[in-house]
Amino acid sequence: MSRPLAAGSGAVALGVDAQFAQRRRRHGVQFAAFLAVMVLVAWSVEVTIIEDTDWERMGSPAQVLESAGRFARVDWALFPDLLEPALETFMIACLGTLLGALICIPVAWFGAMNITPFKPVTYPLARLLMTLSRSIHEIVWALFFVAVVGLGAMAGIFALAVRSVGFIAKMTSEAIEDIKPGPVEAIRAVGGNGFQVMLYAILPQVLPQILSVVVFEWEINIRRSAVLGLVGAGGLGLVFFRQMNTFNFPGVTAVLLAILAIILIGELVSHFARKSVI
Amino acid sequence: MKPDTDTPSGGGDALARDLHWRRYRFPDALYGYGAWIVVLSFLAFSVQYLEIPLGRIPDMFARMGAVLATRYYPPDLEYILDRDYMDYVVETIQMAYLGTLFGLLLSVPLGWFGAWNMTPSRRYVYPVARLVTMGFRAVHEMIFAILFVSILGYGMLAGVLALTFFCAGFAGKLFAEEIEAIDMGPVEAMRATGANLFQVMAFGVMPQVRVAFTGIGIYTWDVAFRAATVVGFVGAGGMGWYLKRNVLQIETERVAAILLSIVVLVLISEAVSAIARDRVMKMR
Amino acid sequence: MPILEVRDLCARYSSSDPEVLKNVSFDIEADDFFAIIGPSGSGKSTLIRCINRLVQPTSGSVRFYDREVTTLRGGQLRELRRDIGMIFQEFNLINRMSVMDNVLSGRLGYTGNLRTLFRAFPREDVRHALELLHRVGLQDHVDKRADELSGGQRQRVGIARALMQGPKLMLLDEPTSALDPKISREIMALIKTMAKEFGVPCLCNIHDVRLAMEFCNKIIGLQDGVKMFHGPTEQMDQAKLDQIYMMEVL
Repeated sequence: MSRPLAAGSGAVALGVDAQFAQRRRRHGVQFAAFLAVMVLVAWSVEVTIIEDTDWERMGSPAQVLESAGRFARVDWALFPDLLEPALETFMIACLGTLLGALICIPVAWFGAMNITPFKPVTYPLARLLMTLSRSIHEIVWALFFVAVVGLGAMAGIFALAVRSVGFIAKMTSEAIEDIKPGPVEAIRAVGGNGFQVMLYAILPQVLPQILSVVVFEWEINIRRSAVLGLVGAGGLGLVFFRQMNTFNFPGVTAVLLAILAIILIGELVSHFARKSVI
Repeated sequence: MKPDTDTPSGGGDALARDLHWRRYRFPDALYGYGAWIVVLSFLAFSVQYLEIPLGRIPDMFARMGAVLATRYYPPDLEYILDRDYMDYVVETIQMAYLGTLFGLLLSVPLGWFGAWNMTPSRRYVYPVARLVTMGFRAVHEMIFAILFVSILGYGMLAGVLALTFFCAGFAGKLFAEEIEAIDMGPVEAMRATGANLFQVMAFGVMPQVRVAFTGIGIYTWDVAFRAATVVGFVGAGGMGWYLKRNVLQIETERVAAILLSIVVLVLISEAVSAIARDRVMKMR
Repeated sequence: MPILEVRDLCARYSSSDPEVLKNVSFDIEADDFFAIIGPSGSGKSTLIRCINRLVQPTSGSVRFYDREVTTLRGGQLRELRRDIGMIFQEFNLINRMSVMDNVLSGRLGYTGNLRTLFRAFPREDVRHALELLHRVGLQDHVDKRADELSGGQRQRVGIARALMQGPKLMLLDEPTSALDPKISREIMALIKTMAKEFGVPCLCNIHDVRLAMEFCNKIIGLQDGVKMFHGPTEQMDQAKLDQIYMMEVL
């Protein structure tokens, strides 16, 4: 590498050298970190995938492709039977989101620092509930509710409701914390009580955001709802499970297409609904 | 109506005319309220169709409490504190970060190609990238897991692949959105120097999105870890397998212990990510 | 008999903060248009808000129609606030709601929760709102969203809202600071005209001293929470102004 222009005094030359040395050091550190990560990854891959996989059962790449190919056809005859479960899945998603949004009303109220009733207790409580709701996978919630209320749509609805609370309440409480305090002052100055302050000063400011968040979560819940059937919560998931168990692979593909179809409907509705709300 | 100027009027006779005001205007009100009525009727119909016993719900809560207190308590902690289970936990963590890593690697090109402003070809590459990302996002990670288990057999390979595709879709969309939100100035500057597309990405785009990408990476890890704890349920490796076994055998106290361990692990992971995210935010 | 009697009012925001108001006392009569002037941070806003208890004074007394205000709670506090209208510097309208709904919100202190939920205000209220909107010149904007209006128009909605309460006193917190000079004058004139018409005394926190001298009949000058001047407008002169605003020059 040639020395750049203007050698000039010794001080400048020292600066250039020092610069290069520093860069080389930094690159050295970065490279070392990169190597470390590579080693970690290689070891992990070895320990998990390489050792754990039953390579013999899997067979050659050609056999793997053949396995995959079993899903390549679609059992069209199955579709009429998929309409009811699809509707069920869709409904479970809708009701679950609704219930979740209702539960969010107190949770978001407690979780908003500016309106929480008793900060040392209610605020951390709400935050904890939000975190729990988001941290536990919907399958785990579904298992829990199936154990408690039995198989069927109810378990799915509860699971989705509880799972959605985390996101909706978090976004809502953040929106509430961001409101302009002026209108709140104005309604208090007029002689309004807490309910009136909420309805006139707070709600109009946050409603568009809340609706947008609810619709967003509803769309994700459609995706989740299809899968909850795997653990007995009703809908397309159950059909999926049965088709897999009877090794009707084209049937599995048919169910997957149905799931994709309702997700697509959900995305379209969500897109237009969120546009019109904002 | 007479065009009044926008200054205070004397009042009086001008008033008598327009003291007539109605809140609900037709047809505007119709669309707004109409939409709500449709939504509410559908929900009511759903409750009916799915045969939800609304009346029995308070009952159910009481029963929930009873079931939890008797059959799920105390959780069988010994069961999870043993060596074999711990091995599975470590495996779960390894699956999670391998899936996140490979998924993120995949999602960088996906996000780049799926970004309207930086994609190499708007007619071919962009729609394909967007479609692929949407496809990965539409399929639930559990479904990926089941499919891979069916093709590749039980074990962590299926789990890692499922997580990889899931993360690729998840992060790919977020990356694309992040790239679309950048300031195009530095990009133009890079293009003006004659840099090729890759160099433009590296010097014009990456510095702007580096911090946001790190944040997205951490968020992806969070979600992936959560998923990794349960993919074992369908045989894709990790502690979920224990969950399935005990659910099938109705060993409820053990199930409680396993669920507890899952919750604790996820909370720890979230705490770590929160700290990491804080550091990243400070980097801004 | 004075409508409002303030005696030795003190206020501070928390026990560790310095006192914002120090023993301020004054009276307001039924036909007053009272101005509070002073440099920024002198406690003008706080003083105004102590009257309707948006800020809690730490000591002193405020008597409104011979009733002690500083100790009211709950329903009685709300009744007090019903009788005191307030106009804000930043208008504080409900932006997503219509002008009509904003003006009607002045009657919330008289409206039950159920009616509030459905926004079903009594016909009398609607009629009164329309009259007021006519008086302030906004009859053509009745159904527009509040955020579609200009600053001057929004403040006129604020005036209508305050008057909807049928108040016995009006508090004005720098009503023209967010408006340009020409509109400021129009708004002050409008407020004064309507206050006279409805017989409502006003206590006005104002930054522009010329406007204060032009529209108000009595002035209080605050500096650092302390009352430096208190008297009719005629008695205010440059020397006293300099004294009040001394800090500002520095």
